[in-house]
Amino acid sequence: MPENDAPLIETKNLQKSYFNEELETPVLFNIDLTIKKNEFVAIMGPSGSGKSTLMHILGFLDHHTGGEYLFQGQLAHEMDEDTLSRIRATRVSFVFQAFNLLPRASVEQNVMLPLIYHPTIPESERAERVAKAIETVGLTHRKNNLSNQLSGGEKQRTAIARALVTEPDIIFADEPTGNLDSVSGIQVMSALQELNEAGHTIILVTHEKSTAEHAERIIELFDGRITKDTTEFKTRKAKEEDSLQK
Amino acid sequence: MLLKDTISAALEGLKRSRMRSMLTTLGIVIGVGSVVLMVSIGASFERFIVDQVESFSGDTFEIHAKGVQDIGKDVLSITFGDLEAIRGLTTVKNIAPAIFLTDRAKYGREEIAPMILGTTKEIFYNWSMKIDEGRLLSDEDDKGAKSVVVLGSQAAEDLFQNENPLGKRITIGARKFTVVGILETMGSPLTAELDSMVYVPFLVAKAIKGRTTYIDYIALQSINGDNELTRQDIVSLLRQRHNIDNPEDDIDKDDFYARSMEQAMEIIETVTMSITLFLGLIASISLLVGGVGIMNIMLVSVTERTKEIGLRKAVGARRRDILIQFLLEAIVLTLIGGIVGVIGAISFGYLISLIASKFLGDLTYALSVQAIILPLVTAVAIGLIFGIYPARKAAALQPIEAMGYE
Ligand SMILES: Nc1ncnc2c1ncn2[C@@H]1O[C@H](COP(=O)(O)OP(=O)(O)OP(=O)(O)O)[C@@H](O)[C@H]1O
Ligand SMILES: [Mg+2]
Repeated sequence: MPENDAPLIETKNLQKSYFNEELETPVLFNIDLTIKKNEFVAIMGPSGSGKSTLMHILGFLDHHTGGEYLFQGQLAHEMDEDTLSRIRATRVSFVFQAFNLLPRASVEQNVMLPLIYHPTIPESERAERVAKAIETVGLTHRKNNLSNQLSGGEKQRTAIARALVTEPDIIFADEPTGNLDSVSGIQVMSALQELNEAGHTIILVTHEKSTAEHAERIIELFDGRITKDTTEFKTRKAKEEDSLQK
Repeated sequence: MLLKDTISAALEGLKRSRMRSMLTTLGIVIGVGSVVLMVSIGASFERFIVDQVESFSGDTFEIHAKGVQDIGKDVLSITFGDLEAIRGLTTVKNIAPAIFLTDRAKYGREEIAPMILGTTKEIFYNWSMKIDEGRLLSDEDDKGAKSVVVLGSQAAEDLFQNENPLGKRITIGARKFTVVGILETMGSPLTAELDSMVYVPFLVAKAIKGRTTYIDYIALQSINGDNELTRQDIVSLLRQRHNIDNPEDDIDKDDFYARSMEQAMEIIETVTMSITLFLGLIASISLLVGGVGIMNIMLVSVTERTKEIGLRKAVGARRRDILIQFLLEAIVLTLIGGIVGVIGAISFGYLISLIASKFLGDLTYALSVQAIILPLVTAVAIGLIFGIYPARKAAALQPIEAMGYE
């Protein structure tokens, strides 16, 4: 996908309903959101407010049911399967709330997984990237352990290493510190912060104010609607500056 | 994605779900193995029977009245006149007429009730029987109506046990006969009857039975191996002589049978073939059961595999990457299962044939290529369909849907 001036992520009146046997459960309403390259965004909100749902849609793991999602100016719902796969392989990665590791596979094998589907990273770089990602999350001593032999925090860190390994443009993290003690939590957050400083866009969901403070922008969701976006204000200010200059 | 990666993903998948892999393989081993085993047992049995029948010359003919098999009562239609007329045909040779006696045979305290055949020396050529000790019946025996007897090997054993029968005198009915020969064992269940028979000169039997018109049986051979021509000759001759109007060649209208061993063999082959088919049918049912087993195991693991598929898609796997991986997994499973099944069945079947040949005599293990290919293909197809179909469905889901699958 060509680089262009369009924002990395832009949603217009985005909506999502789940359908279970004809029964419609609307979960997201009128989401208008713009996220630019290299932002560090925290999404907060009560349980069930639709944070994970929104992340999944933005991370190309689920489709929306109304409105528009533009990824670098391209409409997501017009993308074909191969384009979606390629974006998942190269541009975005996900740290799931429920880890989602391969069972009975080692930490190394789990972290390796995205690399085998990556279209451009050569095989020769794999081992080094895996080792580096595992080191970043401090799991080098556990790299040969099977995923089901790990503690919750170790699983979380394995999932983070897996998300780092391809160095994607955007890393989505759904409560990445939810299962960690404060020390590991700080380790993970500083890893994410470093990635952000290196140019990656980070979007995370958190309950903790302290974690959210790593972000430069906080979006609050309530019952499927954005109730507060700290940069809306910033954007407006930027606009004012623009008009002043003219 | 490199092919290498797909292969290793498939192999890792199999390793990770070792139990499932083993059960699937087992299902296929049993499914394929039982079909191959059953069909090969059937085929070996068929081959065995055919071999037995083939020990007779295929161009030997048997002519007898219909219903002669019924013990105790004579069903007669072939006459001495018929015999002479048949002798006049140009397409026959080795004509051996026969009259059956139902008397008991005695030697000392031993007594047996054999089938006693009054016949001429040609019968031994027609039935491919060879002399073991002494001599066969001769033309002189017949012309002189001599009281001599040739014994089948079993009959000799039953009457004489360890004694040497040659030159001994046995009693048949009211007469004494001198044993002049003992036949070689035919040695198979199918021809056991011949081994228990006792052979006396034709004219002697004729005299004992007081026959002047009818004979029981004629064995002969076609002269140039053209069995159909010989059959037509005999049949039209006998129909003419018996005043049977039968232009449509309907065997049911005749009062006699005239058929070559070759034709008899065809009948036997249809019988054994239906046995093989029957065994094959039973085996197919077990293949079906095995197939349902394979199907179940494949489907039961779908939940876990669906999550895995969702995850792989989430990190960038394309639909075809998933499908190829699952295709490879299924191929490896089913092929290993299939090959183990085939090898197992062949070894087991061979073992059975070895044991069986101890009891039945020469039994060669027979197995056709189709009997291997067909079940193999079926099992592999079932494994593939039920290995891939759920994977295909899962791969079409949104990644998060697949991952959240419960
Ligand atoms: N597959 C589904 N089918 C129907 N409803 C769903 C489905 N997944 C989620 N929901 C509903 O959508 C709403 C939002 O769910 P979501 O997981 O996005 O919440 P969340 O903000 O991430 O909550 P939490 O903080 O507890 O993780 C919830 O009410 C949930 O019940
Ligand atoms: Mg959530």
